Amino acid sequence: MIQIRELVSTDIDDVYRLEKQIFQSDAWSKQNLTADSEASHTNYLVITEDEKVVGYAGLSSPPGSFQADINTIAIAESHRRQGLARQLVERMIQLATRHGAENLFLDVRADNPGAIKLYQGFEFEHIDTRKNYYQPAGVDALVMRKEIYQPLVMGIETSCDETGVGIVRGNRLISNALNSSMEIHARFGGVVPEVAARAHLEALKPTIDSALSEAGIEIADLNAISVTNGPGLSGALMVGIGAAKAIAVAQDKPIYAVNHLVGHVGADILERGSLQTPSIALLVSGGHTSLLLVRDLLDDVELLGETIDDAAGEAFDKVARVLGLPYPGGPEIDKVAINGNPYAIWFPRGLSLPKDMAEHKYDFSFSGLKTAVARYVEKAEEAGEEVQVSDVAASFREAVVDVLVTKAVKACAEYGVPRLILGGGVTANARLRELAKQKCDEAGIELRIPKFSLCTDNGAMIASLGAQLVMAGREPSSLGFGSESTMEVSKVQSL
Amino acid sequence: MILAIDTTAGTTAAVIENQQVLGFSEFDDRFGHAENIGSAIQQALQRAQVTAAGITSVAISRGPASYTGLRVGMAAGVAFATARSISLHAVVALDAVATAYPSENSWLVISDAKRGEFFACSYSGVDDSGLAIRSSELEVLKPEQLEQYSNLTKVDLNCDAKLVGLYAEKAIAAGVELHDATALYLRSPDVTPSTKKRVTG
Repeated sequence: MIQIRELVSTDIDDVYRLEKQIFQSDAWSKQNLTADSEASHTNYLVITEDEKVVGYAGLSSPPGSFQADINTIAIAESHRRQGLARQLVERMIQLATRHGAENLFLDVRADNPGAIKLYQGFEFEHIDTRKNYYQPAGVDALVMRKEIYQPLVMGIETSCDETGVGIVRGNRLISNALNSSMEIHARFGGVVPEVAARAHLEALKPTIDSALSEAGIEIADLNAISVTNGPGLSGALMVGIGAAKAIAVAQDKPIYAVNHLVGHVGADILERGSLQTPSIALLVSGGHTSLLLVRDLLDDVELLGETIDDAAGEAFDKVARVLGLPYPGGPEIDKVAINGNPYAIWFPRGLSLPKDMAEHKYDFSFSGLKTAVARYVEKAEEAGEEVQVSDVAASFREAVVDVLVTKAVKACAEYGVPRLILGGGVTANARLRELAKQKCDEAGIELRIPKFSLCTDNGAMIASLGAQLVMAGREPSSLGFGSESTMEVSKVQSL
Repeated sequence: MILAIDTTAGTTAAVIENQQVLGFSEFDDRFGHAENIGSAIQQALQRAQVTAAGITSVAISRGPASYTGLRVGMAAGVAFATARSISLHAVVALDAVATAYPSENSWLVISDAKRGEFFACSYSGVDDSGLAIRSSELEVLKPEQLEQYSNLTKVDLNCDAKLVGLYAEKAIAAGVELHDATALYLRSPDVTPSTKKRVTG
């Protein structure tokens, strides 16, 4: 039976034997083959017949380069003219598309008309010739290129207080328009769902218009629409859902209903070119504090832990109020904490004691911390002591950031994951960035923090996740999905 | 050809031309606006045997009505008009009902405002274009306040996309502007500015 599967290390000997037979003097060394097939930016496939390797192909697609190369493609003499090479080329094109390549390149011997014809059949064009490339025979190499059309996707985000409309093409960020109702919420000390929903409706058209004009495209140019349908505030989510569905029907485009939290992880793709997996993601905002293990962005996202009471951003807002600082609390506390001593007051680290770690290893709790700060301030006031706001702010901030980073780094270690992605509005916090950098450096973990406009809630990250679904050939959602305010992270797309 | 959308009660969409309803779709579920809005629009177009490209303007119902559902239809209408670069007209739901169900004398159109209250507006007649003429402000009334209108014929009927589309077409023909596409909530959000609370006794 003929099968196509990913190359595993035990295939290398078989592949190397074929490589020598087929390419002879041009053959790669076993060492090169091994290194290339193990590299993080390559994909190697083998064709087997009854578990015997009869062909293989390798694709290289460095993240962020928007291009891919078919490094090699070979079929055993005994198995040619059975359409196997065609199948491998098809799979290489699928992989290149999924990785966001806009151009796919390959080299082919000028004296191999069969192969050239095969590639032409897949719309590879001959763009250059390398004279006498294959030695010692002195045969020319033809450089061929296939343009890959990556999907143009609009993403609509209305899960909280930001109306976001973003446009991406594959892995490329095209535009990211945002209207925030944060200032209206300031006098209430927190996001008021009804106020947020009203603001979304008013911001909808201007935000769509600016995303389109910034991108220089028309809605008709889009290949798909994606929209956040959870988790978030129901009434707010529904504004985006209503709009997205109407656009889908008005322009007869497929629609993808996607998970807001997974969208935050998808934001990293717009900067790095593709998501490296596995990754641990720490998402911290006014509405969420979640630690995710992402083995595959579209198929395998696991919630390791989340806050059991207040979100981290919410704790900043509440403590800011206790300290008489304005809303939103995060930047304000950051500002006064600069001059404070983070060790002046010991505030509790929520769910960090051994007894809590058994059940809540990766969960967070900030409600007790907020109360501890309030208690400290009230006691001091009653005693007629002057409260050192900067020390309280710095000590509180340290307690929050300490728990966040400690648990995230612990998760990386426990699951053997060498990278951590931060997302959410609280990533603007200077101390969080600093401590995460320090602890990740110490532990040999790569830290990814997308630029701030991609960290806070935004439409581009939703467009990015939608684009990944399109690129992977996933079916669109039906028109009947609703909002799911408590959607679990394992549900990446609602069908 | 007008695409009309109303989510003041259930979810409805209609295609209207020359005061004829060419296609109509209705979903009764009062909590399923977000789920049903796409299918409602799609079905109304299909039943009218037109494509989205055949629609030349959009009419939405701007309430007053239950807020969450109302916004779904309004957002859809705004987005549809934006996606097709066509004009958007926003109709007061009570006006659409009043125009569809006129009375010999003055009449009062009411709809459920939740919390035991009613959205209401009174009408005194019909103008040359066939549009009902308002004789009061749009109001939120308690049951006992309804009594002051006891001499008026009460019309307590749901609005739907047919009524919105028919009203909009008449109004546009008469040169009445329906440009204000803000939602009619008639109440402020139910929230008070925060105060500092003590945690110690």
